[in-house]
Amino acid sequence: MNASNTLHHTVRRSQLGRARGLGAAGSGPSHWIAERISAAALLPLSGWFVVQMFRLGGSSYEDVTAWGARPVNATMLLALVATSFYHAESGLQVIVDDYVHGKAHAPTKIAVKIGVYLVGLLGVVSVLKIALGRASSKS
Amino acid sequence: MVELRLPRNSTVTKGQHFPAPASAKNVRTFKVYRWTPDDDKNPAMDTYDIDLDHIGPMVLDALIHIKNDVDPTLTFRRSCREGICGSCAMNIDGENTLACLKPIDSMTGDILINPLPHMPIVKDLVSNLDGAYAQLRSIEPWMKSDSAPPPDGERLQSPEERAKLDGMWECILCFCCTTSCPSYWWNGDRYLGPATLLAAYRWIADTRDEDTGERLDSLEDTFKLYACRTIMNCTQTCPKGLNPAKAIGRIKELQVERKL
Amino acid sequence: MSATSSPSRGAYRIVDHAYDVVVVGAGGSGLRATLGMGAAGLSTACVTKVFPTRSHTVAAQGGIGASLGNMAEDNWRWHMYDTVKGSDWLGDQDAIEFMCREAVPAVHELEHFGVPFSRTEAGKIYQRPFGGHMSDYGKAPVPRACAAADRTGHAILHTLYQQCLKHNVEFFVEYFAVDLIMDDEGACRGVIAWCLDDGTIHRFNAKTVVLATGGYGRAWQSCTSAHTCTGDGGGMVMRAGLPTQDMEFVQFHPTGIYPAGCLLTEGCRGEGAYLTNAEGERFMERYAPTAKDLASRDVVSRAMTVEIKEGRGCGTKKDHIMMHLEHLGSDLLHERLPGIIETSRIFAGVDVTKEPVPVLPTVHYNMGGIPTNIHGEVVRPTEDNPDAVVPGLMAVGEAACVSVHGANRLGTNSLLDLIVFGRAAARRAAEIVKPTDFVKPLPAGAGEQALDRLDAMRYAKGGTRVSEMRERLQRDMQTHAAVFRTEDSLKEGCDKIRQIWSEKGDLSVADHSLIWNSDLMEAMEFENLLANATATLESGLLRHESRGAHARDDFPDRDDHEWMKHSVSWLDEKGDTKLTYRPVHMKTLTDEVEVFPPKKRVY
Repeated sequence: MNASNTLHHTVRRSQLGRARGLGAAGSGPSHWIAERISAAALLPLSGWFVVQMFRLGGSSYEDVTAWGARPVNATMLLALVATSFYHAESGLQVIVDDYVHGKAHAPTKIAVKIGVYLVGLLGVVSVLKIALGRASSKS
Repeated sequence: MVELRLPRNSTVTKGQHFPAPASAKNVRTFKVYRWTPDDDKNPAMDTYDIDLDHIGPMVLDALIHIKNDVDPTLTFRRSCREGICGSCAMNIDGENTLACLKPIDSMTGDILINPLPHMPIVKDLVSNLDGAYAQLRSIEPWMKSDSAPPPDGERLQSPEERAKLDGMWECILCFCCTTSCPSYWWNGDRYLGPATLLAAYRWIADTRDEDTGERLDSLEDTFKLYACRTIMNCTQTCPKGLNPAKAIGRIKELQVERKL
Repeated sequence: MSATSSPSRGAYRIVDHAYDVVVVGAGGSGLRATLGMGAAGLSTACVTKVFPTRSHTVAAQGGIGASLGNMAEDNWRWHMYDTVKGSDWLGDQDAIEFMCREAVPAVHELEHFGVPFSRTEAGKIYQRPFGGHMSDYGKAPVPRACAAADRTGHAILHTLYQQCLKHNVEFFVEYFAVDLIMDDEGACRGVIAWCLDDGTIHRFNAKTVVLATGGYGRAWQSCTSAHTCTGDGGGMVMRAGLPTQDMEFVQFHPTGIYPAGCLLTEGCRGEGAYLTNAEGERFMERYAPTAKDLASRDVVSRAMTVEIKEGRGCGTKKDHIMMHLEHLGSDLLHERLPGIIETSRIFAGVDVTKEPVPVLPTVHYNMGGIPTNIHGEVVRPTEDNPDAVVPGLMAVGEAACVSVHGANRLGTNSLLDLIVFGRAAARRAAEIVKPTDFVKPLPAGAGEQALDRLDAMRYAKGGTRVSEMRERLQRDMQTHAAVFRTEDSLKEGCDKIRQIWSEKGDLSVADHSLIWNSDLMEAMEFENLLANATATLESGLLRHESRGAHARDDFPDRDDHEWMKHSVSWLDEKGDTKLTYRPVHMKTLTDEVEVFPPKKRVY
């Protein structure tokens, strides 16, 4: 805000026009549901993961990759990675909504989405590499 | 981006000091935010030492005493002085409340009085609420019913149906809740705020209203409704003891219910 | 420095508007009128000094009277009889008939607008008994007050505001009306208002102006009224050379909290609360054997004052009375009187579910006001026509005197008055105002006088603060326009008020800003209070009888032969009052009911 013009109406649009804004985007509930379902799903997934990590404590590289190549474990790992990053992404969107305003808002939201999904994708590829890499070496 | 400090012209300076008369025994210090658009000065905190023995028990009594007997230029809104009109909403000792319902002896130390947070200031403790009023209007807070009412009588409503409105229709539109909400501070232009959402749910919950679906549609938005982060300042601060957070939760529940 | 960075410097900025109707005031009657006029297709503006839902209607608690008969058999004729009797036969019976008949559809309409009334088991509007409302022409109390818990005024005011939003009515919020614009023919042509938000002066040219500015309870030291109840309409009208009517009749509500003055609804007693003196006696049984604590307000207030005067007051100073609600039980109180529990706790430190609350008769309502007919049109009585109408000017609500309340208003009849006559005024405006007509240009120099007055006050450099002068006025009114009055006391009061008039030039206003200058606004409100207060004392001094709320120790009886007439007070710019009189309408509107001839008033 400009110091010499602190008074009255840097915004000239009617207050009702501003309040109505661009209308309701129809968004919201899906994000809200997804955030909660992913949070709920993360509870058992993270629990399973912690237990497995304790069980695998001190194991060799080969043992761990063998464990990771088992279809059940690989599925669980993929679910964990996907859900974690999905949840992180929806949480970060909220933070961007709260703290980033004006012109930076939309690009930041998209950048965060791309960034988080890329890192998530890296996680998925890594799990797949363990799972599929072992399978191919056996045959 | 994130605002971490006030703009230079909003930095609050130290203001004038008005000491109590020498004969005063029971003195309390009130620090009151002052700003006028008539000069280019920054806002200031004026200090008033007030003799509590000669005034009523509430903060509003102290403000009126200051205006009557110490400094007639002090400006604030007031009307009913019994907590029903919602005029004297302000931030007292860090909490948004009504000056007429806030006993002076419920606080210790110097008493800090500021206008409602994060709203444009018109003068001193008078904040501009036009945006909040327009948001209220934007949710169309009136009875919508296409069925004609009985020509010679009232629409019927059971006491149980009527009880659903309790805790909502009593809202006095003081906007203590809305202006206490960090999410409203961040996104006040897009988030409707707790007072307006409470008013929206008041109509959604009214069994006489036939527009529930449309009302839910108009709120289905990442910001208008879902910018609520369940911080609960609204419920904590409401001077009438209402629970806007619960109303917001109920609207979300209904939107989820119809989605699933 | 520009106008935007220093808005209070330089010349006044004047903005002109033209409307079919301009309503001044956004309380119950103002909003009801605005809504009706807007819905009728008239271009309507509502000018108000506070945001609509902050108007004092919001504080009405107990209910709105209508003979719906939801809880027990009822009839609008009984309601009419009670109102006539309550008015001590000073009310105009045609107007009272109109109000009581219209009550039923008007309340149903409120429900259709969405007012959250409390409900009976059958799903109908809940009704509770109220003072002076009886069945079968005065036999026994009847539940007639349609209630939304104990916040009926709040429920109604908010709903009316919502309806105005629905109809896209134009509001000018936080605009202080300074004066009416009158033309040489004596017609009202508009109103001048000052916008507090940006300091501009607004000149409204209107085919009709409706004054809905409320009462002037703040002329007294202790009142239930809001700080904003300063009789601005009465002040504007008297400055325009028009009269006010029945100003001596001022209602004391029996149960204002002692000492804060906040209102505790009569609905408490409607639900079964009762009053006791220091001896624990339910003294109302002595004064009103049938209605007891539910006698009319003037009767109860006088009884309480007598008890205190005779040394049976409660407390160490023996200066108040106790009201008991604890026997009603916590559940009922929480359901029906939640606001009373809250108010008593905050302002008296009393838990009414366990102990009695101290109360005292407190100034509550002005029966008098701007005289109007039943369509809300302002009347300027002439020698040959006591009902001559002022073209272009209407008044509704507490600011007006139709007169349906006469010498004493019944509880619940004020909300009813607002709604019925707000509605009637809207209908009348729709009949007489043609949206297709041009708005005639204002007379030359219109509003200059008002602006001069505002400017003079803005730079008033005397030696007396507005608050000092106002406090003096309030103290005088408290002493001399009290529950009981005498010739000597009233005369002394009139003298003191004249003194204030002569010292008015010594006022000082410290704030010279145009933006939200509440010091200046209070100074202008003080002038309005003073005008109303003067009319009150002067007309009270001349009325040599006791009628309704006007109780004279030296003339203890009602004198129908000499005094069954409305006092009409004309105030000049020096503060001198001239009184004329106007007959009470002893006729009905239709032949469905007969005139109730005067008789002794016993409850």
